[in-house]
Amino acid sequence: MWDNFLQGILLTARWDTFGMMGLGLMLGMFVGALPGFTTIMAMAVLLPISFFMDPMVGIPFLIGVYKGGIYGGSIPAILVSMPGTGASVATTFDGPALTKKGKSRKAMEMALFSSVCGDLSSDILTILFIGPIAIMAMKIGPPELAAIILLSLIIISATTSGLFIKGLVMCFIGLFFSMIGQDPLGGMSRFTFGFFEIKSGIPLLPMLIGLFAIPEILQAVEKKITTFVAEEFNLKSGERLTLKEFRRSIRTILRSTAIGTALGIIPGVGQVVSAFVGYAAAKNASKHPETYGKGELDGIAAAEAANNSVNGPTLVPLLTLGIPGDKVTAILLGAFIAQGLRPGPQLFAEQGPLVFALLVAMVFANIMFVVLGYLTIPLFAKVVTIRKSALLPLTAIFAFAGSYVYRSDPFDLLVLVFFGIFGYTAKKLNFDVTPMVMGYILGPVLEYSFGQTLNLARGDTLHYIFAARPITAIILAITPFITAGLWWRGVRLRRKHMKELPSEG
Amino acid sequence: MTFRKISCSMLVALLLVFVGLSPALSDNYPSKPITLIIPLGAGGSHDLNARVFTSVIPSYLGQAVVVKLMPGAGGQTGTAAAIKAKPDGYTLIFTHNYIDQLQPLLEKLPYDTIKDLKSVCRINYGASSLVVRADKPWKTLDEILAYGKKNPGKLIFTTSGNWGATMTPGARVLLQAGVEATYIPYKGGGPAMQALLAGDGDFMMSFPSQAGPLVEAGKIRALASAGDKRVFTDVPTLKELGYETGTMDRIVMAPKGVPEDRMKILRDAFAKLNGDKTYKKLMQRIGENTEYMDGPDYDKLRPANQEAYRLLVKKISGQ
Repeated sequence: MWDNFLQGILLTARWDTFGMMGLGLMLGMFVGALPGFTTIMAMAVLLPISFFMDPMVGIPFLIGVYKGGIYGGSIPAILVSMPGTGASVATTFDGPALTKKGKSRKAMEMALFSSVCGDLSSDILTILFIGPIAIMAMKIGPPELAAIILLSLIIISATTSGLFIKGLVMCFIGLFFSMIGQDPLGGMSRFTFGFFEIKSGIPLLPMLIGLFAIPEILQAVEKKITTFVAEEFNLKSGERLTLKEFRRSIRTILRSTAIGTALGIIPGVGQVVSAFVGYAAAKNASKHPETYGKGELDGIAAAEAANNSVNGPTLVPLLTLGIPGDKVTAILLGAFIAQGLRPGPQLFAEQGPLVFALLVAMVFANIMFVVLGYLTIPLFAKVVTIRKSALLPLTAIFAFAGSYVYRSDPFDLLVLVFFGIFGYTAKKLNFDVTPMVMGYILGPVLEYSFGQTLNLARGDTLHYIFAARPITAIILAITPFITAGLWWRGVRLRRKHMKELPSEG
Repeated sequence: MTFRKISCSMLVALLLVFVGLSPALSDNYPSKPITLIIPLGAGGSHDLNARVFTSVIPSYLGQAVVVKLMPGAGGQTGTAAAIKAKPDGYTLIFTHNYIDQLQPLLEKLPYDTIKDLKSVCRINYGASSLVVRADKPWKTLDEILAYGKKNPGKLIFTTSGNWGATMTPGARVLLQAGVEATYIPYKGGGPAMQALLAGDGDFMMSFPSQAGPLVEAGKIRALASAGDKRVFTDVPTLKELGYETGTMDRIVMAPKGVPEDRMKILRDAFAKLNGDKTYKKLMQRIGENTEYMDGPDYDKLRPANQEAYRLLVKKISGQ
């Protein structure tokens, strides 16, 4: 194995490998930054280019697009509260608030460094523990998945700003929205009222842009100031991330990396969930949770480190079994087989050096990305300094254009407007939309895995779970305690808050 | 009145653009890129196949073919969009026989695929193999079917989704053998295979690109395969064993009403593509065959296939 590893390093030491990887990173970053264009779309479009390249050039190129795209998604999330991908939703909690304080550059630098830290450490963990991760991934079946999702939903609902019960209400609304359209197991139409357009369900991206970007635009219109960034903040000085600030967030980054790597092992949950869970965990652990959502640098670090550290482990089923865990890895699988590499149990035995070369290339891609990302941040940071009278209409145009290009379906524009109004109303009534988004994204997965569990149990669900599924049983057993703990924590925090600020009570 | 001047000239320019794009006025079809709708998601086998042939076909068509992924409602969103598109030959759909011929049987849809879509060609087909985990006792198809017959509902059949490309051929075999099994759908062939390997399922139907490396590594065992030709040299086809199933046909279709001369240009281009060396090499690399079939021939098969599916749906879901 050590020999393979060394040979792998030698294989990556090529100029064209690095050149194409850099190109991929830049392409991915720009596409990810455009609302409506997802990393997956960029990879699918660029896939044929890799067919005609050497494996050690084509695949690192795609890996570059992938990594660049995920970071790219966080740029509009930080600047104008427009999540470019589902994975960057959690970044909109603190990013725009920081931007308004004139700290957009600081926020983007934090996002870059924590992304790279999370990604790098998860890649290294993956290289070291590829065997155990593969075994653990096999232990997660539908019952485990259902239990984990249930627990995640409770944790996220509990850590939103405001009351636990309000969080739960929003979570249920999200679950309801996820049921509209064809049911995932049987293919029956639900809540469609005979309209063919909503049969495929509510599209995610227009919903996200509506929920997060539109309220932000409306609120900015309400306040009649001329610039988006408050003028009292000087953009020239004090906007860069200091070493001290980064050091303060190291604990958060490590925690998020652990969460992301663990969630990456579970097939099909992915970046979106880990970003939210990482954020929730950081907020719970913080001594000042009330600053989260109001421009907390640590919040950006939490979300970005978590969503990027999923990348390493998701590759494991692909490399060890030839099974893609999500769409990104499915496209990578396409690139592998078009290169004549068939991922599977024998890939390591037959192509050991090459596999290690690719893993090492991923590590190098991260290092390269720090440099490239750092150099381009000032460019993006300038965007928000233009006058509000120009920036807000531009944001609105991008919101509509982004919603439309996602599927090229005019119906999606209605979805955007609907959720824009919904998001604005929720904000005014102090309802946090996060649990709703989570409910919406996880609803189908929960329903699917729950349905599969019932089928697997053949009617005797309780017995099946406790006799044949110990992991599920443990997760289900601890769920009530975690729920009670979170609820109690919320009550205590509010009491403390009321004592400190009796007038606001 | 500079403003009026500007707006006038802009209007004229816009009109010119539209006229320029309008295919009715130009007979040198295709004069602009062709859109190929895929009613399925990114990274699936249709996406991958399309990426291969769209990267070669411009040299025969003289125009680029742009892939547009329109997943949703199990393929219905993309199919509806293709049928609604103007029948000018600039919108095609790359779909498969289960979306085309089986789905309309399951519920009321605002279209009738057999009437509303015409085949350009069949690109190739995917022949799945019935596989079991290597440590399971069954060595032949007869053994597993005999076990299933003795223990109704006990065999767990992991599928890539209800009425999808791996459930339907398996269901047809089970129906012919009179075996009742428990169907567990997964979101795609990958998760289904993972479940099989984890021991959550007893058997599944798997395509060669997925099953191949796992069979070679001794993780799973193939008992029989769909299609006319053997997938694994020492594993019989279902036909040899006396079962009738089907393959997943990957087909390019156009909405009805596309002028015949344009259909001919498209069909000729795809026929020539099938003789292309780069195309063959790339398809071979991704583990797919190039069992091309001309559009009119494939159109003849569609109604008969649908009848077979009708029977199957009736028996299984009791509709």
